[in-house]
Amino acid sequence: MADVTRSAKVLEQIRLVAGLRWRILRNSLRKKNSRFDLIGLILTGVLSGIFVIGLCFAFYAGGYAFLSQGHVEWMAFLFWGIFLFWQIFPIFVTGFGATFEFRTLLRFPLSLRAFYIIGLAYGFADFSALASICWLLSMTAGAVAAKPGVLPAMLLIVALFILLNVTLERLIGSWLERLLARRRTRELFLGLFVLSMVSLNFLNPLMQRYGASAQPLFLRFLPYFAWFPPSLAGRALAAVIRLQPAGFLLSFAALLLYVALFSALLWHRFAAQYRGEELSETAAPARAAVRQVTDKDDGPDRLSLLSPQVAAIVRKEFRYLTRNGFAYLSLLMPPLLILIFSMNSAGWHLTRGGRGVSAEIFFPGMMAYLILILMAPAYNSFAYEGRGIQTYFTAPLRFRDVLLGKNLMLVSVLFVEIVLSMAMLVWRVGLPSAHMLVATCAAIIFTIVGQLTIANWSSISFPRKMEFGRMQGQRQSGMAVLVAFGSQILMGSISAVILFTGKWTGDRWLPAEAFVFLAAAAIGGYFASLDGLTQLAEKKKETLIEALCR
Amino acid sequence: MPELAIHTQKLTRRFGNLTAVDGMDLQVTAGQFFGFLGPNGAGKSTTIKILTGLLAPTSGSIQLLGVDFAANPVEVKRQIGVVPEGMGLFERLTGSEYLKFVGRMYGLDRATTQSRSEELLEFMQLADRPKTMIADYSHGMQKKLALAAAVIHGPRILFLDEPFEGVDALAAGALKALLARMTERGTTIFLTSHVLEIVERLCSHVAIIHKGRLVAQGSLEELRAGISGEAGSKTTLEQIFLSIVGQDGTGRPQLEELSWLM
Repeated sequence: MADVTRSAKVLEQIRLVAGLRWRILRNSLRKKNSRFDLIGLILTGVLSGIFVIGLCFAFYAGGYAFLSQGHVEWMAFLFWGIFLFWQIFPIFVTGFGATFEFRTLLRFPLSLRAFYIIGLAYGFADFSALASICWLLSMTAGAVAAKPGVLPAMLLIVALFILLNVTLERLIGSWLERLLARRRTRELFLGLFVLSMVSLNFLNPLMQRYGASAQPLFLRFLPYFAWFPPSLAGRALAAVIRLQPAGFLLSFAALLLYVALFSALLWHRFAAQYRGEELSETAAPARAAVRQVTDKDDGPDRLSLLSPQVAAIVRKEFRYLTRNGFAYLSLLMPPLLILIFSMNSAGWHLTRGGRGVSAEIFFPGMMAYLILILMAPAYNSFAYEGRGIQTYFTAPLRFRDVLLGKNLMLVSVLFVEIVLSMAMLVWRVGLPSAHMLVATCAAIIFTIVGQLTIANWSSISFPRKMEFGRMQGQRQSGMAVLVAFGSQILMGSISAVILFTGKWTGDRWLPAEAFVFLAAAAIGGYFASLDGLTQLAEKKKETLIEALCR
Repeated sequence: MPELAIHTQKLTRRFGNLTAVDGMDLQVTAGQFFGFLGPNGAGKSTTIKILTGLLAPTSGSIQLLGVDFAANPVEVKRQIGVVPEGMGLFERLTGSEYLKFVGRMYGLDRATTQSRSEELLEFMQLADRPKTMIADYSHGMQKKLALAAAVIHGPRILFLDEPFEGVDALAAGALKALLARMTERGTTIFLTSHVLEIVERLCSHVAIIHKGRLVAQGSLEELRAGISGEAGSKTTLEQIFLSIVGQDGTGRPQLEELSWLM
């Protein structure tokens, strides 16, 4: 009979889990292809450090100033800032993963209490929690420097505020996990999230137009915020300073009530997980009652000009596009961005167009910006292939067909997007002069085709797997980002030099001629590169397969 | 002399200091149902990847159906079908879309691709979920679809890496019947599996790889003849395998030594 071990202590288990996470991070950095990630991580670490430390000074100064100048009620604003960051940042960074890894601990002999505590402890390891705790401590230091007597009360309030935030953050995380367990919901949520982020750009013109009339409405709702946790924390502190014990007790009790409520809800969620709640990636299988006839496909082939292999890849790419909610929604972005930019620079004049904006500058500028955005995915074009990449190497075709099919699809999408954006530009800003129009169109061909050659090389050399509908861990390869950045700077610089030369020489048609020549050269270079890239793909196929089949 | 479907000479593949496949000389006659066995990490999947063009050999040569793979990769790939490790499916397509994609990639015309896709989906019992994406298929369904995709162009050699893993008994029976019929019609099947009973039942010829080297090759009868079993009883493939590779193939401590488990 095997020994039956005693349950490990909760603290020991927390230590083990922390050690596990650290080892996973360390081992992932040891991998050869993660060196660029390491550089990225160091850069991110440095920038994050500057961000956190910088705000520590700001919170210290805020705490000190509000208390020393007698504006103690303004402390609530500082609590609000930290509260919003703590709750919203994790959703932005990690909220789109299908699973939270700590659930896997359920296979070990843990009590529900231990599972709850470990789950809560996980919340303290998040960046948002660590940063927020630093800021709260800085704020406390500032307040104590101004009024040393508030230290005990401040510590008590801050401790309760930390517990409240970490509990609420875990609660929102566990609700999101349940909500986003199904792929389709996750994609929809992601799309709505991105759209809402983009919509924030409309705030400025909307405020310009409706800001004054919305102000009284906002002020009417303001008192209701007093019963939210950050305001309660601020009010509790203010009551201490004003020597109002009843006010302090009331606010503190309300905060405690929030903590109790969130804890009960979190306990309820964790208990469901502990009992073995299954959050499946897939929809419940719904077997069709009557077998449906498979879709008819005997119409004329609209891609008959292409070879069967290239046509098959174009079709597959199109299907992938329509099933990638995020990519599909991102197609709405270019015309939307033109609307936003023209509104920001010309005000809220939808029907009259953007007065005061020069089409000569706005037109090529916006086109360059759109190409910058739309070409970005081409630098890691195999990202969503997954294990399917193997098909390209087992099927009887040359890799140039794969590249051609993928590029053709991308160029078609770009064409539609650019036509739509041009229509939007003409409506909002008007047409530029003929020479600028020709120069811009030729420059578009030059930059797209020129970048495609480099992007194909980048996609083969620095592949990185990505998954539909996920943001967590969805990072491009560091090198692919650098290559994209470098080639876009190169293309931009060449274009700028040509435009400047045209202006300097006074020859208005010179840029158009130069860009037509460059576009022809780029097209020639593109086709010349396909065979070389085919050989490169053969050489790099192991890297490709290994990176995408993980 | 019978036609050789697969012929490798001094096939070697190194990963840094590790030699995963070491000077392999493999001969598989056309029309054979060939089982390729070995313990975990012996080099089975590496070999199958090299033979299907997913991995380049460090040295050595491969001829499939008498054609040199390195010189004519496209021509060779036209003749073979593969169910690779991990199945190689595009998960964002439906089963029907995937089969049509693969059919066209192998150069079949649209009408043939369409009709074969429908037949295969029907045969594999996948036709009743036409709108379901492959990502939402169960593991067994994905396996059946991968096999359907591997045979859609009527390959002359079929490479299968663990084809029955995760497939239910009913489907496995149908698949075995399909594979048996294919060999009757002259298709060569090259299969790896950890389930020795399946290999014993299906395969006429077997090769065993151990630490990257081919340690046995021949028909089951030939391998049995080289092993002394109990008098009057037929030696099983498991006994052959264990006697060639060793009790567990690694020289690790035996179960008796884990006394605390008893």
